[in-house]
Amino acid sequence: MSLTPAGWTDRIAGGRISGRPRMLLLVFWLLGSMLVAFIVIPLLGLAAMQSGATLARVAMQPSVEGAIALSLKAAFVTVAFAALFGVPLAYVLARTSFPGRGLLAALIDIPLSVPHPVAGIALLSVLGRRGVVGMPAAALFGLKFWGTLAGIVAAMLFVAAPYTVNAARIGFESVDPRLEKVSRTLGLGPWRTFLRVTLPLARRSIMTGLVLTYARAISEFAAVAILVYYPMTAPVKVYELFLRFGLDEAAAMAVLLMIVCLALFILFRQLAYGREVPIGSGR
Amino acid sequence: MSAGAIRVTNLRLQLGAFTLRDLNLSLDQGEILVILGPNGAGKSVSLEAIAGFHRLLGGHILIGGREVTRLPPERRHISLMFQNFGLFPHLTVARNVAFGRRGVDPLRLLARFDVAALAARYPDTLSPGQKQRVALARALAAQPQLFLFDEPFSALDMPTRELLRDELKAFLRESGVPAIFVTHERSDVEALADKIAVMDNGSIIQAGEAAEVLRRPADTAVANFLGIENILKGRSLGHANGVMHVAIGDAILAARPAATAGEVTVCIRAEDVAPAPAEGAGAAAAAVNRLAARVGAVTSFGPFYKVRLDCGFPLLAHLTKREVRTLGLAPGRRVMVEIEAEAIHVLAAPGPARRPAAGGG
Repeated sequence: MSLTPAGWTDRIAGGRISGRPRMLLLVFWLLGSMLVAFIVIPLLGLAAMQSGATLARVAMQPSVEGAIALSLKAAFVTVAFAALFGVPLAYVLARTSFPGRGLLAALIDIPLSVPHPVAGIALLSVLGRRGVVGMPAAALFGLKFWGTLAGIVAAMLFVAAPYTVNAARIGFESVDPRLEKVSRTLGLGPWRTFLRVTLPLARRSIMTGLVLTYARAISEFAAVAILVYYPMTAPVKVYELFLRFGLDEAAAMAVLLMIVCLALFILFRQLAYGREVPIGSGR
Repeated sequence: MSAGAIRVTNLRLQLGAFTLRDLNLSLDQGEILVILGPNGAGKSVSLEAIAGFHRLLGGHILIGGREVTRLPPERRHISLMFQNFGLFPHLTVARNVAFGRRGVDPLRLLARFDVAALAARYPDTLSPGQKQRVALARALAAQPQLFLFDEPFSALDMPTRELLRDELKAFLRESGVPAIFVTHERSDVEALADKIAVMDNGSIIQAGEAAEVLRRPADTAVANFLGIENILKGRSLGHANGVMHVAIGDAILAARPAATAGEVTVCIRAEDVAPAPAEGAGAAAAAVNRLAARVGAVTSFGPFYKVRLDCGFPLLAHLTKREVRTLGLAPGRRVMVEIEAEAIHVLAAPGPARRPAAGGG
């Protein structure tokens, strides 16, 4: 990390530059560092209070490994559903205007503001054994939302899908509609134009949305615990360890989870943004 | 590639509060039609309607006798180009040119425009001139029968604009494909247009051969859009000796005869105001107006100066730098200028009612 934004280096090397906002950058770095410290120090503290023995013991438990694996898997399935249903919705919101468009956009954001236990209760009332969806789904298709991966994904999707929709909508809005028109005049129909022009140009935003959705899904506790509880996802397992064995065991698993997530998100960033897509010439 | 005459008849559409009323355009193979008008006049909407992006209330679009009115844009064989030429930023030059086509050799097309060396580059690394060539190569791959240009040069500085415009015109002349070019830049009109359509408020208010429209705007609004620098209020004094006399304030000018009387609008292009030769050097013909003027502001633009004159009425003249230097023109100086009667175009003063839309071509 450097205190010097790209592009200023050579000018600074040449001497004192009055145009360089030194104080501004200094103050902003100080303020920003406080936030970084606020986030990093508790995490480091959590890691520091672990003894290697406890970490190893917790990591060896099959139920801990199983819970982490289940969380990773459920979050992936959640992201797939968010993409399948959220990206088309985002396109409609970005490209068309219709009565109630603002209301629809606001509805999408509601899961972000609802307390997560409330989300869990709401889902339970609909998807539970006696719910208006849960009962017929179980009777007709054998699709049960209690005690299953389907239930975990449902809870995760409810709280995490808005990130996909919002990010993808911003992505689509940033694509110049005139490029789509050019594609049409070059002989491509609406579907191929979407796949060949719109989607690739909105790719970065959509990827950001999917990564955020994944992060939100994997971290969800309350909605999952209320709707499903068993099989346990990683956050539920952390809670269970806390109740049964106390803080040390729970903290150890939390650190394991953090390490897995950190590795995963570094990987995601590489996959999503590793290749720079030139943007801006079509505007 | 085959190209044919374009006939747009009575195109009507409604888009929110905007109404396009009976758009009629006509151009033959190889012709360039320039649509001129203020922002919001409906120029871009008209192009998009011709390309097939709007639902029409009525009208027909024929390309070489082929009716395309009900076809989707991808089946019309009409090329549409926007500001920055609409190259896809996520694709290389070669993939832009081959976009959506099988069996197209992008290198061969690029070579035709001398830009084959750019094949592997991305569009945002290209100069505007290179972008235009790549965009034309790409458009050709789709074998268009009509080119539509929606202010492709609007982000460019004037020298670049002129260069690209000349290249574009040469290309269009060579290809023989008719083109409609939308702009609000007057210099585009004179450089490109075979035909002109002046548009305002969803209607074409004058259309015709370029020279005719430029010389004889049908009304004050058209004169404004064409960028005629001097549009003055006057009074008709009647005809005599093959010229018409108009009074502007205290000055009386001889003008080209027009069938107007009473209050009139007088149009004089700045380029038609010339320094008068020295007194006695060839008696001024009756058909030339000589005016004594006081010089106001003198502003440089390109090879010219814009010289503001006060002849009893304000008059803007475009003089070459050489003329300004030779005459020693500076604010406050007195100078004699002349304007040929033939260059003074008299219109009926704007009335409450606007002229009905003129037919295309």
